[in-house]
Amino acid sequence: MTDTETLYEERRRRIEAAIAFEPVDQLPIAYMGMAFAPRYMGMSIADYCEIDQNNTDVTLAALDRMGADLWDGINAMPCGRIVPSLTSLWLSRIDSPGRELPPDSLWQVHEEEVMTPDDYDTILDRGWYAFLDEYLPRVIDPVELRQSQEWVRANIDPVKEQCRAHGYVPISFGSTSIPFEYLCGGRSMGRFFIDLYRDKDRVKAVMDEMLPHMIRSGISVARRSGIPAVWVGGWRSASSLIAPRIWDELVFPYFMEITHALAAEGIVSVLHLDQDWTRDLERFLELPPRMCLLNSDGMTDLRKARELLGDHMAFMGDVPSNLLASGTPDDVFEYVEALIRDIGRTGLILCPGCDVPINAKPENVVALARAGREFG
Amino acid sequence: MLDRLPTVLADLEEDEVLEIVKAALAAGSEPLAVLEACQAGMTLVGDRFEAGEYFVSDLMMSGEIFKQVGLILEPLLEAEAQVSGGSVVIGTVAGDIHDIGKDIVVNMLKSANLEVTDLGVDVPAERFVAALRETGSPVLCLSGLLTLAFDSMAATIEAVTEAGLRDEVKIMVGGGPVDARVCETVGADDWGADAQAAVRLARDWLESGSPA
Repeated sequence: MTDTETLYEERRRRIEAAIAFEPVDQLPIAYMGMAFAPRYMGMSIADYCEIDQNNTDVTLAALDRMGADLWDGINAMPCGRIVPSLTSLWLSRIDSPGRELPPDSLWQVHEEEVMTPDDYDTILDRGWYAFLDEYLPRVIDPVELRQSQEWVRANIDPVKEQCRAHGYVPISFGSTSIPFEYLCGGRSMGRFFIDLYRDKDRVKAVMDEMLPHMIRSGISVARRSGIPAVWVGGWRSASSLIAPRIWDELVFPYFMEITHALAAEGIVSVLHLDQDWTRDLERFLELPPRMCLLNSDGMTDLRKARELLGDHMAFMGDVPSNLLASGTPDDVFEYVEALIRDIGRTGLILCPGCDVPINAKPENVVALARAGREFG
Repeated sequence: MLDRLPTVLADLEEDEVLEIVKAALAAGSEPLAVLEACQAGMTLVGDRFEAGEYFVSDLMMSGEIFKQVGLILEPLLEAEAQVSGGSVVIGTVAGDIHDIGKDIVVNMLKSANLEVTDLGVDVPAERFVAALRETGSPVLCLSGLLTLAFDSMAATIEAVTEAGLRDEVKIMVGGGPVDARVCETVGADDWGADAQAAVRLARDWLESGSPA
């Protein structure tokens, strides 16, 4: 074994131990970011978005530049183009740098009603995939989407090897979500939230039709990659946004179904949860033990989470993006020290909350990892 | 009949609210009295949100009901009969096209009887300045969801200062990643963690008279 391979195996064991809530020799540290890496490495965001291989290359180069000894793994293996991938997850039209936007600007999601109430009937009458075939051309060129997906399928193994050669463990790959998030992206938050009150029964029927496909999608991406952890994302279904009676019926039961189905296949659900989920943390005890990672963004109260959840699930987070953008390295050090002190070193992977924003100060991102090494 | 309207609206019973509004008007109630009852309902919604009983989805649904009522009342209300509690200019700053949070704040400000000039999303600094000049509004709300919005917020506040309006205008910032640190960094007077906080700030500033 080369030194890098030995290091990779050490890091892999460290990460697996953290997820299983077993003691670790040192706190594992994970990177999670998209547009920060090209900005940091002097690549235009347009080039980052347009060329399939760039996501992997520039992310690994950025990690090496910050300090190859600082990072154990990457949350969400960087593989392929971002915009097609986000479009198929959010079902929303996205403006791209170098096309609708200046070459060095961040992509922007259109918050608009593309999916109509009639589309609910299409899903119910003809099924999820028939709907997607008809719907996706409204938000992306289908040829471009297919090419992008084919590139990813053909390059999962080479990208995994690239990560390995750099010594960074891909903690997860691919994503699925609860039906709520797909529908919310397509309908727009403004319209969908009103649907939840005016047309709840029909929305629920649509979600029930979609759910098996969301589960199958999570299982198949994990099988294809051989990486036994998949993102199960939640952003607009957060507790802080949704009334409890709706959350209890249209959000949590679907997280339950997906996480248990993935766990039955040996797949860890990386609960990538933006916003604040504190109100409902106790319900997370119903999710499969030690087969989920609570991957929060700094808004959910992790101290309360640890108190309520004990060793039921490990956490991955949660240094806030605004701290990385507007704070100082001292601020970041202070945050990380307090987090590790209060949460404990077991069952924790230190990680940026959500992701490192494009305008994060590089010295703050480095401070995150250095603080993890110092206090972890 | 109007006595029940605030509670029914606050309970988000859309059909019943619209029935009561139509019945009250048919029975000869003044449109302004109906509007005030609905505004009282929106105040109750805000109270429940602050008490942690209501969440963002409830705010959005209440805003939708209020909008439906507005469609019925608008043709019946004489402009001069509506006494505004003051005026506010609001928009999502340049480079950011997110409008959800901003729209919730707009709805809550309107239902609090404030006159709102909504400039939309991706608003350049000079448009904010022009709107402040045109309306004479003493309150400016800058919204943004991206951390990139921080620079635009700072640039907008700088533009307001350069235009000589800073002493006459109180400025608040808000949106997902905004906190006290960001508020200080961009040079705003205060920040709102949610829509209700924005309404409270605007009201306080407008009621205190001279923002300077």
